[in-house]
Amino acid sequence: MIGQLIDGPLWYFSLGVFCLGVLFRFFTILRAGLKPDLAIPRAGGAPGALRNLFTRFIPRRDVATRGRLTLIAGYLFHLGLFALLFFARPHVDFYAERITGFGWPALPYWAFIISAEIAFIGLLLLWLHRLLHPVTRLLSTADDHIGTGLVFLVMLTGCLALAQSFEPLRLLHLFLAELLLIYFPFSSLMHTFNFVFSRGYSGAIMGRKGVNA
Amino acid sequence: MGRVLFPQNVADAMKGGWLFLLCVLMLLPLVTSTAAMGAETAEQAQAIPVPNPSADLWRDVRQRDGIMTGKTQVAGVDSGALINPYGETWRNFRMRQLIPYSGYLLAGVLLLLALFYFIRGKIRVNAGMSEKKLFRYSLYERMIHWFIASVFLFLALTGLILLFGRSLLIPWMGQELFSLLASASKEGHNLFGPVFAVALLLIFIRFVRRNIYQKGDLTWLLKGGGIIGKGHVPSNFFNMGEKSMFWLLILVGIVIVGSGLLLVFPVFGQARLTMELAHVSHAVTTLLMIVVIMGHIYIGSVGMEGALDGMTTGYCDLNWAREHHAQWAERCEQAGQVVSEAEVSRLRGETAGGHIPPAGAQESGQ
Amino acid sequence: MEHDFAKGVEELGRQIDSRIASYFSSCVHCGLCAEACLFYTETGDPRYTPIYKLEPMRRLWKEQHTFWGKFAVKLGLSKPLTEQDFADWEELVYDSCTMCGRCSMVCPVGNDIAYMIRKEREGFSSAGYSPVSMQDATHRALTIGSPMGVTLKTLRAALAHVEKDTGLKIPMDQQGADYMTLFSSMEIVNFPEYIESVARIFDAAGVSWTISSEAFEATNSGIQIGSHEAARKIASRVVNVAESLGVKYVISPECGHAYTALRWEGPNLIGRAYKFEIIHILELLDQLQKDGRLQLSGHIDTPLTFHDPCQVVRRGGVIGPPRDLLSKLATGFVEMADHGTMNWCCGGGGGVSANDRAEELRLKVFDRKRKQLEALGVKTMVTACANCRIILEEGIEDREMDVEVIGLTELVAEYLAGDSVASPERSLD
Repeated sequence: MIGQLIDGPLWYFSLGVFCLGVLFRFFTILRAGLKPDLAIPRAGGAPGALRNLFTRFIPRRDVATRGRLTLIAGYLFHLGLFALLFFARPHVDFYAERITGFGWPALPYWAFIISAEIAFIGLLLLWLHRLLHPVTRLLSTADDHIGTGLVFLVMLTGCLALAQSFEPLRLLHLFLAELLLIYFPFSSLMHTFNFVFSRGYSGAIMGRKGVNA
Repeated sequence: MGRVLFPQNVADAMKGGWLFLLCVLMLLPLVTSTAAMGAETAEQAQAIPVPNPSADLWRDVRQRDGIMTGKTQVAGVDSGALINPYGETWRNFRMRQLIPYSGYLLAGVLLLLALFYFIRGKIRVNAGMSEKKLFRYSLYERMIHWFIASVFLFLALTGLILLFGRSLLIPWMGQELFSLLASASKEGHNLFGPVFAVALLLIFIRFVRRNIYQKGDLTWLLKGGGIIGKGHVPSNFFNMGEKSMFWLLILVGIVIVGSGLLLVFPVFGQARLTMELAHVSHAVTTLLMIVVIMGHIYIGSVGMEGALDGMTTGYCDLNWAREHHAQWAERCEQAGQVVSEAEVSRLRGETAGGHIPPAGAQESGQ
Repeated sequence: MEHDFAKGVEELGRQIDSRIASYFSSCVHCGLCAEACLFYTETGDPRYTPIYKLEPMRRLWKEQHTFWGKFAVKLGLSKPLTEQDFADWEELVYDSCTMCGRCSMVCPVGNDIAYMIRKEREGFSSAGYSPVSMQDATHRALTIGSPMGVTLKTLRAALAHVEKDTGLKIPMDQQGADYMTLFSSMEIVNFPEYIESVARIFDAAGVSWTISSEAFEATNSGIQIGSHEAARKIASRVVNVAESLGVKYVISPECGHAYTALRWEGPNLIGRAYKFEIIHILELLDQLQKDGRLQLSGHIDTPLTFHDPCQVVRRGGVIGPPRDLLSKLATGFVEMADHGTMNWCCGGGGGVSANDRAEELRLKVFDRKRKQLEALGVKTMVTACANCRIILEEGIEDREMDVEVIGLTELVAEYLAGDSVASPERSLD
């Protein structure tokens, strides 16, 4: 009965909250408004915005050295998560069945496992960094820890259900994923989408000044 | 042909294999050794030499005297051997010796530590905790330590569930729930195994220099590090106890990782015997490590005052350092590296709110 | 100034635009901004983390713009912003930030943190929670016309000196000149060599220029303290005079934030585009040199480096001109490892130099510049901002270093071709 709830209504509810919530967050950003810039630009804002969107993936020289722990663990986690979230066979099958109606090539099993291991290493190191580094300790709010924790639990329960032989384990994983979807729009996890706005706005301001942000 | 780890059919076979093994294990209580022994003695009592025409055949097949491999059309590592007698040996070892004795070992060590705590008590810093600190572990060092610690604990937990599940957990939670738990533990254990290998490598690279044998280490060891009695023995950054644990962790850890990898990737042509040996060495070495880590956790937390600070804040107390790592503390003091508690607090951002402690600063509006 | 918390909160709320909302939404508290901020790197104090300086504004954003934020305050789960927060954060917002913008360059999600600080200061200054010395400077700027109290009389005296030394006439209030130039008070008082250099260069290049007796001050205290009202008034003076004189260009001198104020913020402060263009002195010199109107001869061989004024280079976009000019003049020019748009702040921008309370901290963080210089091993540093110059010189003296600081415009004037006028006294070797 619980299983039917998790597979059925709760899935649709969480997906709905996620989609509407994300859109709502976009709306609150745009609603805050932006005054037009009356200064004569040196170059276009739009190219600057687009450029910044991609160049921010590459860190600056001195921060790449001073912040190398964050950088390395951060990329390990994000790349591993991206690979397993979108290219693990069980996930591709899930999306094909429930969202898109079509699938796409999936990673071989060993690559899935290695992506998961890389993602775990990155996430654990990042979380430890957040707890141990004075700067991130000072900055971190409950939201940061809940977000990290939820993502970790989703990943862990996914790992525990890898044998794909026990319904309760699969349902636990799905349930936690649904909780994550519900929590997502109200947390800093929104950086997943919002970074496009923030990199874009900064890239535009600096682009108009003629600075490669 | 490219070797692919866990292609679907192998995974299915493995699943089938596990399922089969699980069934076998569940059926074992029904076929107890006493019943089997009873049947054997009954057979031996009946000493009339009636020649069984197939007895010779089955004796050869049973291969009690060792594995005989014959020829077969099936291409596979063990397909020439009809029966592996060591399987029975291994199974008995695991059921009758490994599981009970490791249980006694773990319980015993736990008891010993508890006794030690109640008798010897928390090892205090004789001079008392001071306001002066020394920088001991960098951020990176603390990160990789807690990383390997959490991964180790997870692997130990899942491993012990797999080891003691049938004897301790099934009676308590029933078979269905345990099968779920066991599957989850197995998957978790297998995924995090290579993660532990990475963690071990990071720990080795970072700490190996400080764990090389130095003058005075043997003396420390012979004096037992002063753990009995009130005396303290001088030592460097790491004392001989810590160095021994490091090398044990690394060397035993290599065996753990190696045997673990053999077990989790049975696609490199491992024979059953190899797998059995890998399992036994994995079990024995991990139990050894668990016991050692229990002592490590004990002494690093409740067992010794001031021991945990270094690995959490990065700074240790000066008096603690003078008593437990005298030579290192002296070098730090000579180099002028002593830091005040207030400075440590400042560096950790522990001053409340945004207000900066005034260094001749005025209040706003004046 | 009296404290008016309600006014401050209201102003702070008004400053939250789409950019700010997206920045707070994207921030994951990764802490990388701290690694780019000299106030953190030189003290190790995590409270100087750039985004931490924005806590008051973040809490207001959360309260006003997020779903849970509104709920949390209503349910009493999170505390609303209090006056004590303003009091506690004042030092972080004003003493330990120069709005240099290095943090904005490194944030992985692209937050322009310096922009956020600029906006946050609007709230703080409205509430009266800003350093008294900066409030006084702004007051002087509004009433006297200069934050340092430089009057027309003082200027005329300085101009008289220059006219005497160069034999040139400095045009004042010339209707229809091509260029109207401004000076910063710091230049008039501490580096009048700049005025002389400009006079000689414009004469040699045949530039039609003037200064205005009504609006000669380039600096804008309103930008530094964060008062758009004050900033608008100060900028308007320049705009009105420039438009009434009918000049084509207004030259922003060697002053960092003056360029930001006039070039980038000005039109938005007054609400319309100018009828003239703003050009930085370095841009003009570079253009004149490339057009052939400014002939240079000779060069300086001393190994030297360039300190990039934050508001001119990183926040202003004048990146190429200083280097192009130096490449024509200096054979021993070496870049600092972090140079151009990633150079480190002198520590005195954004009003910090006008803030007595911040002096100790400012001198401490000068260590970053010191390390940059020591890594290069040069004894000469060129820059193009009078404020940077004085701050760098103070830091050099405090750390007992043997480094000379030169202004770039003066260096250009040094090497004017066919120059019959005596160069200013300086030994460069």
